Amino acid sequence: MSATYWDPHDHLVSPDGKWYWDGVTREWKAVPTASTAPEKPAPGTSAKKQPERGLSSFAGEVRSEDLAYGQTVLVWARWILIGTGLLLSFWGPKDLLMLQVQLAAIIALAFGNFYLHVQLLRGHPAIDNVVFGASIADIAVVTALVLVQHGYESPVFIFYFAAIVGISVAFPTLLTAGYSAITIGVYGIIALATAPAEDYPVVFTRLLMIAAIAVCGNLFARGEGKRRADAIRIHNEMLDEVEQQSSTGGNVNVEPA
Amino acid sequence: MSNPREVRTPKQAEQEDLFFGQSVTLWARWSVIVAGIVLVLWTSTDVALLTQTMPFFLVLMAVNFFLHGRYVTGSPLNRVAVTVASVVDLILITAIVVLWPGSHGLQNQFFVLYFPVVFAFALVFTRKIEAAYTVLAIVLYAGACVLTGTVPFDLGNDDKVLVMRVIVIAAMGFLGNYYFRIQRDRLAGLAKGTPA
Repeated sequence: MSATYWDPHDHLVSPDGKWYWDGVTREWKAVPTASTAPEKPAPGTSAKKQPERGLSSFAGEVRSEDLAYGQTVLVWARWILIGTGLLLSFWGPKDLLMLQVQLAAIIALAFGNFYLHVQLLRGHPAIDNVVFGASIADIAVVTALVLVQHGYESPVFIFYFAAIVGISVAFPTLLTAGYSAITIGVYGIIALATAPAEDYPVVFTRLLMIAAIAVCGNLFARGEGKRRADAIRIHNEMLDEVEQQSSTGGNVNVEPA
Repeated sequence: MSNPREVRTPKQAEQEDLFFGQSVTLWARWSVIVAGIVLVLWTSTDVALLTQTMPFFLVLMAVNFFLHGRYVTGSPLNRVAVTVASVVDLILITAIVVLWPGSHGLQNQFFVLYFPVVFAFALVFTRKIEAAYTVLAIVLYAGACVLTGTVPFDLGNDDKVLVMRVIVIAAMGFLGNYYFRIQRDRLAGLAKGTPA
């Protein structure tokens, strides 16, 4: 069992208020009753609410729990990026400087991803800000590779897609929109500046498809969140019905006295 | 042993996944349609080219209007129809890659249209169907590149680019379906009475 103390401000609570999410053990646990709840540390102690965790403070419906589940997709997307990047770096290298930049960026990304993956394997989802920073790093690395390979001509822009897939399912809508806008804006400027005018339709298609991936992923993630909320509600209604039946001897239409 | 609290059979779960996930495939198809129409309007150099290419997208648009209309009225199509429509998407994109004037096969830059279609499909269907669809997309694209004679098979830069694109198409399918299975496990946990 986790030694995590119960604090309604620090935990995701189910709609019925009976369960809370323990981010350390990654389990749903019953909310302790007043008699069993550990003493809450005094305000101002080290156990004070941690503002760097908990997306709910500024991101609406999607919470750290969703980020934790989506984080596994992000981590695997990044491993694909790293593995493919390494394979392609060693496939017919030509320029020493380019190879040095590629390998340095990919290895740095691999170390960061190893840390995030270990955190997940140990059941400790990383701090939200670290996850957000890692996704910025993904986009920055791909952008660096695109720039080194002369912008529009570079074939590695397709790795933006893998990065955006992870972001779109893990992050709330506002953040997904922000990351996608940054990616589209930065790559759009680079591509338009380096592409011949007759290839602008190609640039448009690339940017539109990046946006499409972001929309599809986030649309699905939001839909699933709603389905889970509905499932919790239905489950609770069933439990209430069973409780009511047991307290009234099976007759649910008994009027209160 | 069946759990008395389980409220959905596997069949019902699949039907629900199809119902709720179908909107993603619809939006992915809209993105392909918009991209195609803009490209056709933008790049056409004469009337004949425009009148030959535009009807494909108009047909696809009509089909998606029908599918989307069915969806919003609460009577979406079954999984066979959705699968067939998704396969038609792949065929159309492959036709663009093969037949687009000026650049064919590996030199054609519109292969990115595969990405949202494969990703959206992976968010809706179970692993085996998704894997088959992703493999089909890869085979169609690689086949288009080979048949147009744009892959030299000399382990040079063009081969490298083809491998890179194929890996990313596979990644779209894998990542989408991986997330789909995570979400399905969470829902199954809820249905069993344990928030997942």
